[in-house]
Amino acid sequence: MMSKNDDKLIKREARVKLLAVTLLLVFALIIILRVENMLVSTLLAIVITYSLKPIVSYLERKGMSRTTSIVIPFIGVGLLLALGSWALSPIISQQLATAKVELPKFIAGFKTLLDRIGYHISYYVGPVMRDSFSEKAANYLQTLLQGSLTDLPTIMGKIFTVSILAPFFAFFLLRDGRTIMKHILRLVPNNLFELFLNLFHQINQQMGGFIRARALEALIVGGVTWLGLSLIGFPYSVFLGVFAGVTNLIPYIGPIIGATPAFVLALVYQDSATTIILMGGVYLAAQLIDMLFIIPLVVAKIVNLHPVTVVVVIIIGSQLLGVLGMIISIPVTSAIKLTVSAVYNHVVGFRV
Amino acid sequence: MNTLWENIFKKQAQQRSLTRILSDNILFQDLSTKELSLVEEIVHERHYRKGEFIFQQGEVGVGMYIIAQGSVDITLYDNQPLVPDGSKHVLVTRLEAGDFFGELSLVEDGGRRSASSIAAEDCILIGFFKPDLLEILERSPTVGIKIVFRLAEVLGRRLKETTDKIRVLRRELGHIQNKSTDPL
Repeated sequence: MMSKNDDKLIKREARVKLLAVTLLLVFALIIILRVENMLVSTLLAIVITYSLKPIVSYLERKGMSRTTSIVIPFIGVGLLLALGSWALSPIISQQLATAKVELPKFIAGFKTLLDRIGYHISYYVGPVMRDSFSEKAANYLQTLLQGSLTDLPTIMGKIFTVSILAPFFAFFLLRDGRTIMKHILRLVPNNLFELFLNLFHQINQQMGGFIRARALEALIVGGVTWLGLSLIGFPYSVFLGVFAGVTNLIPYIGPIIGATPAFVLALVYQDSATTIILMGGVYLAAQLIDMLFIIPLVVAKIVNLHPVTVVVVIIIGSQLLGVLGMIISIPVTSAIKLTVSAVYNHVVGFRV
Repeated sequence: MNTLWENIFKKQAQQRSLTRILSDNILFQDLSTKELSLVEEIVHERHYRKGEFIFQQGEVGVGMYIIAQGSVDITLYDNQPLVPDGSKHVLVTRLEAGDFFGELSLVEDGGRRSASSIAAEDCILIGFFKPDLLEILERSPTVGIKIVFRLAEVLGRRLKETTDKIRVLRRELGHIQNKSTDPL
């Protein structure tokens, strides 16, 4: 039988180990949240890791070493990106040049649009701040756009840092992720070890499925939007496609945010009704493909959260981290839900 | 009762290298040295003090343990007394270095531990868990299939032992019932 001293020693060791592992995780979290560019780089690295993992496993099954299996998709994706940028660069530079030239025209158009809206409002409710409203809005838009241009070098610097750091982290996560996890698990006290291991496995499985599904979704929605807008000859199709793909990651309100710039552009340029209908049709088609095929087949089965929970956590996410918070709020909530239910099962649902 | 838990695949194993411990275990005995290195990379070495629980009856089980060094007691608890002295706890068996236990959790989904395991002395265990098996199956199906096939064999033999034990217990119960109804 175990003596009281043995029992005390076991409990003390468990407490020390738990403290060590908690401190380690908190320290890692502080670094990720506080060091500049670290949060975005880490998140992007996780997305790259989960997206490439099936390819790495496939190559490993074909008999290649782990490192070779990781290097090949990295080179492949790198080449694809380089080729893609090379192929798209004339379109992008042309669209950027057009945007630069048309900026004053766009602001003037925007002001006219606001004037018209203001006129209609005053027609019904009388002159309520009408004169200053369109002026103020146009000035605000000009300041905002000029501000973005001034911040461009900083933003480009950030993009450059993230695009170096994220693949670097992803490479080591794929190669040494398991070893890192094993070292962390060594610190976990024996009485919680199986719980931690199981929890990590479940979160890993769910996140992998979720991230791969959402990345595919963004790619398809973005691609369909770009292609559709190009076909109908709508301006800035590349940027609008990328924007629609990225914002589509935000549940419910993402597609609306994604389509807004195109509608604003159409209204400002006073496009014909046919163009607006065609443009709306493109966004509708992208959403239909998403809702009818991608969501039921790949996304819905992965996370099981109530729509009210989804909306509430998106609001919380937007308050804490803006657009990034809106995008990551769902996987984070789903991981928290999984953790709570596993801990509850372990501690409370214990049955003999 | 002991034979149910006694390890029939036991080999003499006293603080040997991880490769040796794994290759001596029935689950990994078909693997080549290269294939074993993949398993070595994946398994977990855990240290337990005398009297420390490895797992408790009723907990969700995630995998099995191979005893690399030391010995482990397997105990059962029930709300009803399990032995004539009225105790609700009973020692089922003591497992030694080379033995393994908890392998049913490798295939069960959310199954709970049917008994508790406690370190009878300071010991080192090699943990092999369901996520590890799934990773092997994903990265190298050939290795995974070899392990799963041996695992099926172990579980089949455990089932056969249990069936034999039930037959013996039924026979003994029949004898007792016959004796109690016998007027003399």
